[in-house]
Amino acid sequence: MGTFSALILRSAAGLGVAALAALAPAVAQAAEPWGIPHEKPVVLKGRVVEALCHLKGVCAPDCGAGKRQLGILEADGRFRLVGKGQVDFAGAAPDLAGFCGREVEADGLLIENPAITLFFAQGVREAGSTAPFTPTERFKTQWEARNGAAPEWWRADPESNAIIAETGPLGIKGLVPKPKP
Amino acid sequence: MTGLSQTRPSLALWRRLRAPIAAVLLALGLAGPALAQDGARVRITGEIADSWCTVSGLMFAKGSAHHQCAVWCALGGIPVAIRDADGALYLILRIGDDSDSAANPRIARLMAHEVTVDGELLERDGVKYLLVDQIADDKGVINLTHDEHGIQPFGN
Repeated sequence: MGTFSALILRSAAGLGVAALAALAPAVAQAAEPWGIPHEKPVVLKGRVVEALCHLKGVCAPDCGAGKRQLGILEADGRFRLVGKGQVDFAGAAPDLAGFCGREVEADGLLIENPAITLFFAQGVREAGSTAPFTPTERFKTQWEARNGAAPEWWRADPESNAIIAETGPLGIKGLVPKPKP
Repeated sequence: MTGLSQTRPSLALWRRLRAPIAAVLLALGLAGPALAQDGARVRITGEIADSWCTVSGLMFAKGSAHHQCAVWCALGGIPVAIRDADGALYLILRIGDDSDSAANPRIARLMAHEVTVDGELLERDGVKYLLVDQIADDKGVINLTHDEHGIQPFGN
């Protein structure tokens, strides 16, 4: 588990949440609470579609192959943008792109923040499957195939490091953080 | 944020009929770009931020303190938005001709910048989607939050 995941779990694993989880009946979905305001565990059922294609008809092959934001179009017409997967600092487009245009079930957290509604997918599977949900960790698999294994992909990412080397961690060239006391 | 004109009767009618129309189209197997719509022309001013850190509430997700984290999230494919002064989030699906909205290095280089953009706004099921036609102004990172909040989320 990554450092950031640990941070999340520390925030999420209050006694109340843990107690409620322990008392909850066994159900098909098992989305883990992340302690995010407005979160609600749900299993979304619907078709994987690309946001820009669905909204504007500007479509890319294979739903953009992980380079475009994707969502799940439910049977009632609601479109849920999928904003995150299980990997620290990473989305779930790589997990969903393989299901482009197909019906899926996605286990996760619906975040109905007044500013934006997003779905954070923790697992996905083909609709109707009885197999366990596949954790949404494909970003890491793909990243490691390109760059090799690293304990924290974000600190080892060549593109991130190139930007931060250019601008500094604060985003302003030449501005450095004060030394820690 | 300025320039919104989304209360036209046709738009209200569309919103009311959208769900039943979509249900019928889905039943017929015609969903997808069939629901394409025209949005409102808007000018948006705000800070470019990743949606995960903004809504998770697990860290301080503003300005220079959050720049590095925001770059990581953008390159990780987290949806990127413009947060205006009122806290509204406008999720970017396109900038100019560039429709790569996930893990796009061009967008990552804009993280935590204060920008003004012109584009098209589409609202759908709790999300304000923004198709940016042009970046009218880019002030860079001007919200200096690092003295108070350090470097988020790990301090380095």
